[in-house]
Amino acid sequence: MSAVATMLSKSDRLASSSARAVLMLLRARAILVLVLLLILFAAMVPSFLSANNLSILSKHVAISAILAIGMTFVVLSGGIDLSVGSAAGLSGMVAGYVLTRGGVSHSTVVAVMIAFAVCLAIGALNGWLVAKAGVAPFIATLGTLYIARGAALLLSNGKTFPNLGGSVAHGLTAFPAIGQSFLLGLPMPVWIMLVLFGLAAIVAAKTPLGRHVYAVGGNERAARLAGINVPRVKLITYLFSAFCASVVGIIIASQLEAAHPATGESFELNAIAAVVLGGTSLMGGRGSVAGSLIGALVIGVLADGLVMLGVSEFWQIVIKGVVIVLAVAVDQLQSRLQAKFLPYLLRSTTEAGR
Amino acid sequence: MRGQQRYYAATLVLLLCAAGCHRADYSKRLIVILVPSQDNPYFKAEADTAAKRALELGYRVRIDAHDDDAYRQDNLIDGAVASNAAAIILDNAGSDSSISAVRRATRAGIPCFLIDREIAADGIAKAQIIADNNQGARVVAEEFAKAIGRAGGEYAELLGRESDTNAQVRTRGFHSVLDTRPEFKLVSAQAANWSQSEAFQKTETILQGHPKIVGIIAGNDTMALGAVAAIKSAGLKGITITGFDGSPDATGAIRAGELHATTLQPAVVISKLAVDEADRFLKTGSTGRPERQVIPCDLVTRANADEYQDFEKIR
Repeated sequence: MSAVATMLSKSDRLASSSARAVLMLLRARAILVLVLLLILFAAMVPSFLSANNLSILSKHVAISAILAIGMTFVVLSGGIDLSVGSAAGLSGMVAGYVLTRGGVSHSTVVAVMIAFAVCLAIGALNGWLVAKAGVAPFIATLGTLYIARGAALLLSNGKTFPNLGGSVAHGLTAFPAIGQSFLLGLPMPVWIMLVLFGLAAIVAAKTPLGRHVYAVGGNERAARLAGINVPRVKLITYLFSAFCASVVGIIIASQLEAAHPATGESFELNAIAAVVLGGTSLMGGRGSVAGSLIGALVIGVLADGLVMLGVSEFWQIVIKGVVIVLAVAVDQLQSRLQAKFLPYLLRSTTEAGR
Repeated sequence: MRGQQRYYAATLVLLLCAAGCHRADYSKRLIVILVPSQDNPYFKAEADTAAKRALELGYRVRIDAHDDDAYRQDNLIDGAVASNAAAIILDNAGSDSSISAVRRATRAGIPCFLIDREIAADGIAKAQIIADNNQGARVVAEEFAKAIGRAGGEYAELLGRESDTNAQVRTRGFHSVLDTRPEFKLVSAQAANWSQSEAFQKTETILQGHPKIVGIIAGNDTMALGAVAAIKSAGLKGITITGFDGSPDATGAIRAGELHATTLQPAVVISKLAVDEADRFLKTGSTGRPERQVIPCDLVTRANADEYQDFEKIR
């Protein structure tokens, strides 16, 4: 009798240890893919790991990473924000408008502040539509996607705001520095990304707000019953996402020294892909900001590496699609595995605790 | 479960290898060719010609498309810098929004040779070789007026994307001819953004409001073909339509008698010229030509449509 019990628990432990290994692998999948890609490209493209290219790569990654950091909270709370690409475009256009045509001031600080304000208004609209008006996040932010894009086109009648880097008379000298300068050898956008990442990671892990975001996404009804102000939490996630979009729009306008109304098309999809690759569940409640950063790294490395490798652009699109689909498929696999092995894992933990 | 996971990983690796298996010869110098898209016959001809010429001259090439997105173009130019390209052949994503990227490449020691579209700055690119859009527009507008005849009448115009300099130059060219003739009356000018489907819809709407129009002058061939389709589906006849670009589809429609005329942008000539000048610059330090170069366009009508193929005069 006791021999049977020992045998049973032995097989349980075996199952749990192999399940644990698989789960660990699955959780670390984004890092594994990233390392794999880096090795692959380093082997195939001679200059891939040069300091110059890594600096350029990090600058590109920063753009999708900043959007993904903002998107993470929205997705964690069970929503989605499709408007970030358009909001980024609008942000650049507003900054360009103030810098070149703004009657009151041509100052960089004023331009950036007004761009932030406009994007926060978009975020507030998203938050209000989703949290108060009860519109499904997909639809609400699809609507604001069009509104923001249309507004960006209207601002200039479809034209580009040029010469944002040029004239000293307009006091524009500071504006190009946002996207083009370096600090301690790293491009400025990377620093901006790191600051936002640090902030977001602390909020997610250490503050009540962070826990509320997870709670709302995990089980909204339970969160409400536990006394969490659900609409407020949702509003804050959309505001932060819009703010991140605004930052991206300004960085791009600064890099190009011009603001074009079509900037940011399909950025939202890149951001969502980065979030999903990083292991955040689109159902909400599960995931992390660090994961999204790694997801953005994977997408950035893949995009730049394929270009340097000279892969045809059509293949690039196919490969990107395959990676995203695989990421979600593996995500499902992880959920199922977790559900299946959770009893074993729990038991082995309690046994270990005894 | 594990098998499934392994299967995913294998698929990914296979795909990456399949895409990357054409390993380039890294001992040759690299010319990067950036065009707006590779699914449009004009840009495809442009990119393919440049690539062919560069390969003939002993370079290795890389073609990428920026989809008229200045930010993507910026990233691709960064990529060219990182790959230590010898030169960049660029059909840019916007006359203002491309300046900073071209300047960055030039500062990094990579000369840029612009084709098809100009940028609004001098002295940064080594060459800016474009088709004479103004001359082409005038020639096609003359033909448009000649085909409709002395009686004149109401006509409509389909315009390209407003942010594109070529759209503005072409419409100015059309009007410099047609506005001097009082018998021609513009009743509707709509932007169809170079797109066939948009042109189709806009033309249908125009026909509702102005059933008496005798001609439609379009800023490019795809829009002209959209108009042709709309006229056909409305069952109308005797409306003169002209395009711009000289695409194979358009010359085909001219041969079929559906489209009256177009003007051929010498994409092939321009691409070859740009690569030759890049080669000369890399070998001698000078292109031997002024920065801004304008190549005239050819009028294509039913009489000479057989002489043109894939943006090139073959006879």
